[in-house]
Amino acid sequence: MSRRARRAAIAAAAVVIAILWCGSRAPAAVDFSVGIRYVSDTGSLSDCSSKAKESLDAFLQSASESSPGSGDWSAHSTNGVNGTPTADAVVRCYGLSHGYVVTFTCAVQLPDNPYTANALCLDVAHKFHGAGAITSLAAIPTPSPQPTGCATNSLLGTWVSDDNPKLTFTMGLNGDLTDSEGVSGNWSLKGNTATLIYYGTHSLTLSADARHLHGGGYSLTRKC
Amino acid sequence: MARIICTRFAVLAATFALAFGIAGRPARAALDVSVGARNVVKSAPLGECDGNASRALVSVLGKSAEIGDTHEWVAIGAVDTAGSSFAAAAVHCYPLDGGGYVVTFTCAAQTPPAPETASVICSQLADKFGGQP
Repeated sequence: MSRRARRAAIAAAAVVIAILWCGSRAPAAVDFSVGIRYVSDTGSLSDCSSKAKESLDAFLQSASESSPGSGDWSAHSTNGVNGTPTADAVVRCYGLSHGYVVTFTCAVQLPDNPYTANALCLDVAHKFHGAGAITSLAAIPTPSPQPTGCATNSLLGTWVSDDNPKLTFTMGLNGDLTDSEGVSGNWSLKGNTATLIYYGTHSLTLSADARHLHGGGYSLTRKC
Repeated sequence: MARIICTRFAVLAATFALAFGIAGRPARAALDVSVGARNVVKSAPLGECDGNASRALVSVLGKSAEIGDTHEWVAIGAVDTAGSSFAAAAVHCYPLDGGGYVVTFTCAAQTPPAPETASVICSQLADKFGGQP
């Protein structure tokens, strides 16, 4: 094997190992519940749909029917701490020759969601029946507002290279950065020491007014 | 010789840095739920629905279990080393007057890391089930 081929093989192996390592982190898990099934000898599909919407709206938001008249209803929670819904419930009605059958299925994302899928399904089903104790579900945590301006505890925002104004860096909320050519990397900040992982690892110092970063071969000014 | 070793280390370090830079960006996991198909099968025993439901769940998610004797089937996807699962599905069978049954598919996934969306899982289940719409 040539020297160049060996280097390419080592580099490829390093990429695979690093990506597998990073990809193995599990952010959360899905908690799933098949709730009770209820059969009513009386009432119509329309009655079931009406109760399904009402019971979903009692705990979640935006209850909607998959297609008009289908009797399949779903709703989701308000956005969780990561900015996306963390709970969802499905109520499915089917009209019988006499009455209807209705099923309840719920899914939540743990640990982002403060209550389990079982608790959600139980409450939705009890609300549907209009009977049974309803447990008060914990409130969804409010998403943290994204810092704005020149925060001293964050590098969020757009930075311009003092040496080359065409070179900019956009620092994201999740510690990600992207330069003006689309190359991505990561940032972190501890005290006034910033670390940029971008074509290598660079240590920079954040100025007291949080507008300038110097060091590691870079000199950047924040737009804020 | 020392120069070659240094060069190799530099290439390796740069490659790791680039790869970690790409893969280290935290993915924003989202809960994905799908209200899948509802099929009505006439003139067929409920046992057929149970058998098809179990086989479809095993085929797509690797396992299946009936909740009691309810004809309601559920499967939780494979768990990772931390014991977490990122996909699940339920298949509900219910008998109809005069024979036949109605079957529904409901699915959930967290993407990433689940490789398939809830909608794809439900479509696969319906295909594997093979019921007539």
